[in-house]
Amino acid sequence: MDGVAVADATLRYAQVSVGYHGTPVLTDVNLDLTPGQRLALIGPNGAGKSTLIKSILGLVPVLAGTSTVLGRTPSQARALIGYVPQTDSLDADFPVTAGQVVMMGRYRRIGWWRPTRSADRRRVHEALDRLGLADHARTHFGVLSGGQRQRVLLARAIAAEPRLLLLDEPFNGVDAVSQEAILSVLRDLSAVGTTLVLSTHDLTVARELADTVCVLNGRQWAVGPPDETVTADTLRRAYGGHAIELRDGRTVLVEP
Amino acid sequence: MIEPFTVPFMGRALAELALLALICGPVSVFVFARRLSFVSDALTHTVFPGVVIGFLAGGIEGIVVGALVAGILTAVVLTLFSRGGALSDDASTAVVLTAMFSIGVVLVSRRSSYTSDLTSFLFGRILTVTPRQIAETAVLAVVILGLLLISARALIFRTFDPAGAAAAGFRTAWLDLLLNIIVALVVVAAVRAVGTILVVALLIVPAATARMLTTRLSLMAMIGTGLTLVAAYGGLLASWTASVDYGISLTSASAVVLLLVLAYLLLLPLGALRARRNHGRIASNARRSPHELVG
Amino acid sequence: MNWWDDALHRATAEVLLAGALAGLVGVHVVLRRLSFFTMALTHATFPGVVAASIIGVNIVVGGVVAGAIVALGVAALSRHRSQNTAAATGVMLSGGFALGAGLVATQNGFSRDLTSFLVGSILTVSPQDLVTTAVALVVVAAVLLACARPLRYTGFDRVGAQAAGFATGVWDVVLLLAIQVAVVTIVPAIGTILALALIVAPAAAARQWSHRLSVITALAVTFGALGGLGGLYASSRWDVAAGASITLTATAVLALSTVLSRLVRSRPTAAARPQALAA
Repeated sequence: MDGVAVADATLRYAQVSVGYHGTPVLTDVNLDLTPGQRLALIGPNGAGKSTLIKSILGLVPVLAGTSTVLGRTPSQARALIGYVPQTDSLDADFPVTAGQVVMMGRYRRIGWWRPTRSADRRRVHEALDRLGLADHARTHFGVLSGGQRQRVLLARAIAAEPRLLLLDEPFNGVDAVSQEAILSVLRDLSAVGTTLVLSTHDLTVARELADTVCVLNGRQWAVGPPDETVTADTLRRAYGGHAIELRDGRTVLVEP
Repeated sequence: MIEPFTVPFMGRALAELALLALICGPVSVFVFARRLSFVSDALTHTVFPGVVIGFLAGGIEGIVVGALVAGILTAVVLTLFSRGGALSDDASTAVVLTAMFSIGVVLVSRRSSYTSDLTSFLFGRILTVTPRQIAETAVLAVVILGLLLISARALIFRTFDPAGAAAAGFRTAWLDLLLNIIVALVVVAAVRAVGTILVVALLIVPAATARMLTTRLSLMAMIGTGLTLVAAYGGLLASWTASVDYGISLTSASAVVLLLVLAYLLLLPLGALRARRNHGRIASNARRSPHELVG
Repeated sequence: MNWWDDALHRATAEVLLAGALAGLVGVHVVLRRLSFFTMALTHATFPGVVAASIIGVNIVVGGVVAGAIVALGVAALSRHRSQNTAAATGVMLSGGFALGAGLVATQNGFSRDLTSFLVGSILTVSPQDLVTTAVALVVVAAVLLACARPLRYTGFDRVGAQAAGFATGVWDVVLLLAIQVAVVTIVPAIGTILALALIVAPAAAARQWSHRLSVITALAVTFGALGGLGGLYASSRWDVAAGASITLTATAVLALSTVLSRLVRSRPTAAARPQALAA
């Protein structure tokens, strides 16, 4: 990796507010992530999870506070960030194969004119293979299942070799096989130093995967290790009294 | 300012346009909310073969019947296509539009004087509207407004919450067909008198303009009607003045449309301002479809 | 006698070129659901064309200027979430059409001009028109080829493309301008209705046969050119308006493709073959 300040902060948000047209959607965000850290963003619908992720990409402006991503401003860091969007924001009818979607992850490197090289094709194949989709490279994206689509999008993000990977609700509408495949790849990535930020409403997954959880709803209500943050008390405050705790200590959310 | 309208043909033209304003205010609201602009444009073209066949079969009297048949046929076909099929609904609309129109052209092109037929189809003959045509338009206006009155609540429900409407037991397919037929009826009522250029504008622009001023549907309909009346009066007056006083041939259909579009453009900043004020509240959960490039 | 002196020969060449050009942009029009925008463009460039011919400048220039204004207007409007772009497009369509028709009406002999605007006059195409179409074809093909990757990314996954650093707004404008150039070039020769048909129908037909953009594009170009040829033949055979018969031929290609591709697809297909990647 290149020498500049790789060391500590992958992402540093201090007193950050983000929003559209000067109207904040989310305030008081304080984050400090190091390489390999796994952050889960949780909160009810409309809490600002996606907005926060887009602000890390520089797609939603930071209205106040200081934000540094990989030692630069968010939009300058974009080339080093991988992003897995929600699958329902895509045009599934668009005529692309799974292999071509993953190749999109390499577009930044190959530019929009040069032909692809064998190194690019190898990366694409590896990424698909890691997610168990090597046989589907030539399959039309639109005919894949929801879980397979999500895996393809993760493969695309991996093919770009990002240092920071953002995932927006990666487990929405995903089957158990795909979820296991995604979780295992995410753990591997974290082990080699890729920082993960993912939004989810699945508290079990958040607890299982993340080493840090950030509870959001209009502002940051708590951030820290799962055991300290995913508590009935915090959740009740953030969600407005809709959390209940079960006997085995697991917290289950009931949204109104 | 009133004097030109004491001339009988000008008075009749204004009466015809006033009737259309009455219908198009409310209908355009649904065209706007359901994003049926392209369907409206398509219907103005697809009635053309009906007009031609009706004329060939029954002379002047056959035109309305022919247009009615072609209009309702298109409404059915477009409804079927929009409910899932091999093509996306905008592509199928485009194909139906061009194919039907071409059938009309093939039919007229075998006659010698077809350019003037096409021209009158585009511009209509608003200045030669007969009392009989006004009566026909009035009858269709009553039918259209009656249909709208009966179905308004269901149509509004279906527009804002298709899944909810279906769950509540509304047959959304029939509602879609009904709305398409209403639009087709408007086209039939208007096309011979005012021509396609004006009909398509009357179906799209009033509500789009009114939307800048209000978000309430009933108010949008009333403002739309009001705007159309003003534009009709102003357009006829301008076209009269231009040709009588200045000897410029300004077609009245164009003049009316251009006034409507002018109102839209003038109010555009107001609409942007309203949107901006509301933005913070709706931004967080408003998701763009992948096809929002041109809705 | 020179081969190009025969009006039918020139019409044949024009129909091949226009069909190829239309097929090329048509793929994007169909995939991005821009049919209504294309329809609006055909009408909204009309005042530019008329104004240019009244002032006495090249009508293609007039069309390009008017079309560029419209394309940029649509791009600007579609950035506003709250705008009903379908309605805005419709307003542009009717406004442009009324303005153009109004301008034409101030001139003498306007009904002939209007008719040829709608259904074209492919049999009166000049050698200069042919050159214009050929140049437009080369330019549009080059632009679409050079920008294939960003256009594919933006069309498939807008937010992802932004996140990957593509300026999606710029690519929208590039695409809209490419469509605009194609429309402006072919409308004077073949008319608005035919232009829309030639852009949408062959591409929609090609879409039925493949899930690969390169294959779809090749098929669309072929269908466009074939539809043009077939329609031209039918027109001279049965003495009907050329524009209309080309439109109907293109529609028939689409109808056939829809039916045949279903039949072919309903047969059991071979399992996914081992891959070789392409981009």
